Amino acid sequence: MSFVWSRAKAIAQKEIYHVIRDPFALALSIGLPIFLVIVFGFAIEFNVKNIHLAVHDADQTQASRGLIDIFGKSEYFIIDKVTSPEKAQQAIMSNNDRAALIIPGGFEKLLFTGKSSQVQLLLDGSDNSTVVPILSYLESIQKMANKQLANFNPSENIDIKTRFLFNAELNSRWFVIPGLTVAIMAILSVLLTALTVAQEWENGSMELLLSTPVQPLEVIVGKLVPYAFFCLVAVVFVYIISRTVFGIPFRGNIFVFGLGCVLFLVTCLVQGLLISILTRSQSLAYQIANMTGLLPAQLLSGFIFPVESMPKFFQYFTMLLPARWFMVIARESYLKGSTFFDLGIPFLALGTLCWFMIFFAVKKFKKDLEP
Amino acid sequence: MHNDFVVTVENLSVLFGDFRAVDAVTFSVKRGEIFGFLGANGAGKTTTIRVLCGLLHPTKGEVSVGGIKFDTKDAEMAIKKKVGYMSQKFTLYNDLTIEENLTFIASLRKLDTKTYLKRRNYLLNFISFTRPLNSFIRSLPGGIKQQISLAASMLHEPEILFLDEPTAGVTPAMRARFWALINDLAHLGKTIIVTTHYMDEAEQCGRIALMRTGKIVAIDTPAGLKKTTFPDKFYEFEPRKTISYLDIQKLKICPEFEYFEPFGMRFHAAFKKSPEAEKFRQELNVDFNTKEIAPTLEDVFIKITEEKGV
Repeated sequence: MSFVWSRAKAIAQKEIYHVIRDPFALALSIGLPIFLVIVFGFAIEFNVKNIHLAVHDADQTQASRGLIDIFGKSEYFIIDKVTSPEKAQQAIMSNNDRAALIIPGGFEKLLFTGKSSQVQLLLDGSDNSTVVPILSYLESIQKMANKQLANFNPSENIDIKTRFLFNAELNSRWFVIPGLTVAIMAILSVLLTALTVAQEWENGSMELLLSTPVQPLEVIVGKLVPYAFFCLVAVVFVYIISRTVFGIPFRGNIFVFGLGCVLFLVTCLVQGLLISILTRSQSLAYQIANMTGLLPAQLLSGFIFPVESMPKFFQYFTMLLPARWFMVIARESYLKGSTFFDLGIPFLALGTLCWFMIFFAVKKFKKDLEP
Repeated sequence: MHNDFVVTVENLSVLFGDFRAVDAVTFSVKRGEIFGFLGANGAGKTTTIRVLCGLLHPTKGEVSVGGIKFDTKDAEMAIKKKVGYMSQKFTLYNDLTIEENLTFIASLRKLDTKTYLKRRNYLLNFISFTRPLNSFIRSLPGGIKQQISLAASMLHEPEILFLDEPTAGVTPAMRARFWALINDLAHLGKTIIVTTHYMDEAEQCGRIALMRTGKIVAIDTPAGLKKTTFPDKFYEFEPRKTISYLDIQKLKICPEFEYFEPFGMRFHAAFKKSPEAEKFRQELNVDFNTKEIAPTLEDVFIKITEEKGV
């Protein structure tokens, strides 16, 4: 009654035959990573460049011109000068400009007297997609402005809240591609395994397996290993693309990143298996896999929408999702070079979720297969 | 336990929740016997067979297969090693070739390559299979698929073979061929337990167990069943002229009949033992050509299920 590797191996081999002969599975496992890399890497631009900025300069001094210059040279903004603050507002209303910079009279004077000078920035709040990037550029611009304009009394005026240490250019690809690893793994592993056991029930071939002395654990291992392999190949593919095509630096420890990958992979595979065991039907398994694997990985993991800006309920809810924790591990170990101990909480959370998933799957599967 | 019996079942019950799929069934099967289960869908045939293959645990009762008492988890695995099972669903993988399917099953049964090749060649020869082994299962006609299934269930050289509706959905010629194989296997000393819906197949069994709502309602050889169900003379009537449906319905409720059933354009009937019934039978000669025949298994099946059904 001990675990027999040759039986697990036979099942793994059979599983590979299924995948390479099933156009859908094959297209999914090869096509999907490529497709997602193209979409997120090339087509979708999270960076906003060339924003039209209406500028009204009431001060007309060296300092005010210097400030406008900083905006203009930043590559993010195209300066459209207007003659009054009202015109600036109209420019936004008529969609000619996305934002407006209003420099009041006496700007230079205040700066020279050592007090904080204020300028006003108007943003088109109806266009959410530009507001967030503009605000983040603004901080780096403020930093430069302080450095260049306020030489007189630096201690008073330099007010830097954030520094973009790990992605100084705020290049969205740097942020997106490591996250893409998470999305691809979640989709591939959950979907492919969700179909595999259900297929066995639908075919009637489960009867064949049951009539031989094969054991549940041998079936589970045999079924998961090939899919784990497919997913790891996909991860390596994304990694190589990100290093070569996008030139994203890998600052962390490959083992920390790798450990996160394996842990997340196992969790997802077992999740797929659990779905398959529970539904016993391929079409139902497919839908549930989409809902519990693909959607959360895309929408709730922080891949596209930051967890921090979600409603409170969802911030807590995402804690139940393995994808959220692996998203942290992937990004931080990739861009920041965080160590295993820096990522203690995400690893602990992911490990716990993984353990629960395996526990339920094995329990349910054994109960199902035993007569 | 008697040495000649390879399968003994005593008071076997299988419950799914409150549903009694198999209800206190007792029977035994001799070595080399072809033992048939006959009954409607849901009568409990498949459930009984699944228990005997180690796929289901008995809820109650004693089961012994191939000398192994089915009571523990270890026994389940030991039984699985000893028996071959061909499910009523087609269980091979359509997207794998014949060779891949057979190798897969051989690996699950831990056969070494030499034994596997020997068994494979023997079995393919036995079913006279001549197509290339790298053909995909899905490209084979239904009857051939069933034969490959049969070979697959016998790779590990089981003593006892369970065939659950092996010929469902197969052409008559292929059915005949399949039964020739079953008879050959029995001659080779294999014990075969088979379920079927076809009466002509049931006729070929050594003994038949008739099942109804989880119970065995009759168990005997085909000849024995006919004799006990219709101990007296049995007749076939052929109408001399066309008769209407209404006439048949009128005839059917005549109390002199012990049994009356349309059989194609003819009628099979047995009569009650009374002078009136004898007189009634002779009167029928006016409208019908009468012939004394042996009852078919179908007559037996209808008679028994009707009786117990009331």
